[in-house]
Amino acid sequence: MTGGLGSIGIGPYLTVSAILLVLGVFGIFLNRKNVIIILMSIELILLSANLNFVAFSSALGDLSGQVFTLFVLTIAAAESAIGLAIVTVYFRNRGSIEVEDITMMKG
Amino acid sequence: MMTQIVFYVFATVLVLSAGMVVSARNPVHSVLFLILAFFNAAGLFLVAGAEFLAMILVIVYVGAVAVLFLFVVMMLDVRFAQMREGLQRYAPFGAAVGLVLLAELALAFSHWQVAADIASVPHVVAAPGRTNTAALGDVLYTHYVFLFEACGLVLLVAMIGAIVLTLRERPMGRRQNIDRQHERTAADTLAMMTVPLGQGVAANGGFRRPEQSYYIASVPGSYGVTAEPVPQGKPAGAAPADGAPESGHGADNHGGLAQ
Amino acid sequence: MTSVLADYFPVLVFGVLAVIIAGAMLGSSLLFGHQKPYAEKVSAYECGFEAFDDARHRFDVRFYLVAILFIIFDLEVAFLFPWAVSLSRIGLFGFLSMMGFLGILTVGFIYEWCKGALDWD
Repeated sequence: MTGGLGSIGIGPYLTVSAILLVLGVFGIFLNRKNVIIILMSIELILLSANLNFVAFSSALGDLSGQVFTLFVLTIAAAESAIGLAIVTVYFRNRGSIEVEDITMMKG
Repeated sequence: MMTQIVFYVFATVLVLSAGMVVSARNPVHSVLFLILAFFNAAGLFLVAGAEFLAMILVIVYVGAVAVLFLFVVMMLDVRFAQMREGLQRYAPFGAAVGLVLLAELALAFSHWQVAADIASVPHVVAAPGRTNTAALGDVLYTHYVFLFEACGLVLLVAMIGAIVLTLRERPMGRRQNIDRQHERTAADTLAMMTVPLGQGVAANGGFRRPEQSYYIASVPGSYGVTAEPVPQGKPAGAAPADGAPESGHGADNHGGLAQ
Repeated sequence: MTSVLADYFPVLVFGVLAVIIAGAMLGSSLLFGHQKPYAEKVSAYECGFEAFDDARHRFDVRFYLVAILFIIFDLEVAFLFPWAVSLSRIGLFGFLSMMGFLGILTVGFIYEWCKGALDWD
């Protein structure tokens, strides 16, 4: 991997990452009742962080950004798997996944 | 020039599909737009030179996580129409928060500059001539070994958590004890008799039960098997002349049939 | 970065070609197929479900468990890829660190095996 982003520069990458982050946060606000869309918005936020890491890793010629992206990816996949498992089991027990109904900690 | 066109195509489609993820009516459409967003993000990673990460994004995120989302979205029978009613009330507030966040990020990025002595900060540089994957491998298992093992622990916890959450005892199946089934020989189940001609079953001792219970190879506690099967070797007495379906159960010593 | 893009240009051509072929197949069936449905034709087959009904059926969570286990082991394989390529450079220490990682995940594997999560029943 040769250093630097070539003709693009880091600005456009950071802009795309910022827009993705804002869209993810906006998605959480917009879909307050739908747990699955909230989980997808969290995936978008994590994707924006990954894009940021990779952009800087490429611009500074440092591989540690990509190493961290790999770890973030692992954590994100494990977290979404467990989050969806909780949603599934909750739906099996309750019959609805309205966020407002998920108020009990004891199963 | 070509790089810039490719970058802007990927970036535009990424932002548009991310916008559609959060605002699509149908949640299946949301997941499909999320898959499109991941593909375009992988393209952006490729333009930046992180080819291993781009492929891993496609394999892991699209191939596993997005499929999981599709599973859950398609199989949970949720009435999503009534879930959208919060949209009108919270959209302006959410847009305001989003704009504030965007303004803050723009402020931070515009006043950000690389330090002059950046080259003196310790860098993890790829060895020349190594592909991206090999360069990552050089550094991941030696330099970042603690984080790597911690990732293994996170995956272990996720595995155990998933099993604890979703594994259920299956009450409706009779499970087999494989070792007992393998140990079962033909001598346990068959007995060859020479029957003289002209004689019926009753004259030869009636219908005979096998030496061992039918349930010798079943897991106790699975469907229909309540206790450890006891071997029985006695014939069922006179032939069950009534022929009713429940004749074989009940009074007989069938170890463990829950009827 | 044009070298990276130049390397992956065949992948782009492949993708575009796949989209074109799939689109041509669907489009030509749309354009050249006879579309004369009537009630009898679009009703369900002998023992099938309604074609245009809600596709959500009763959920069997065993499929979900298989998908989650696939994610976990897919991530394990994703970590195995760079290790396989760089093993000659990282020597014994790199080998042992990966063996530690695989050992941790083997503990999980033994757990799910003995718990019966791998039995399809």
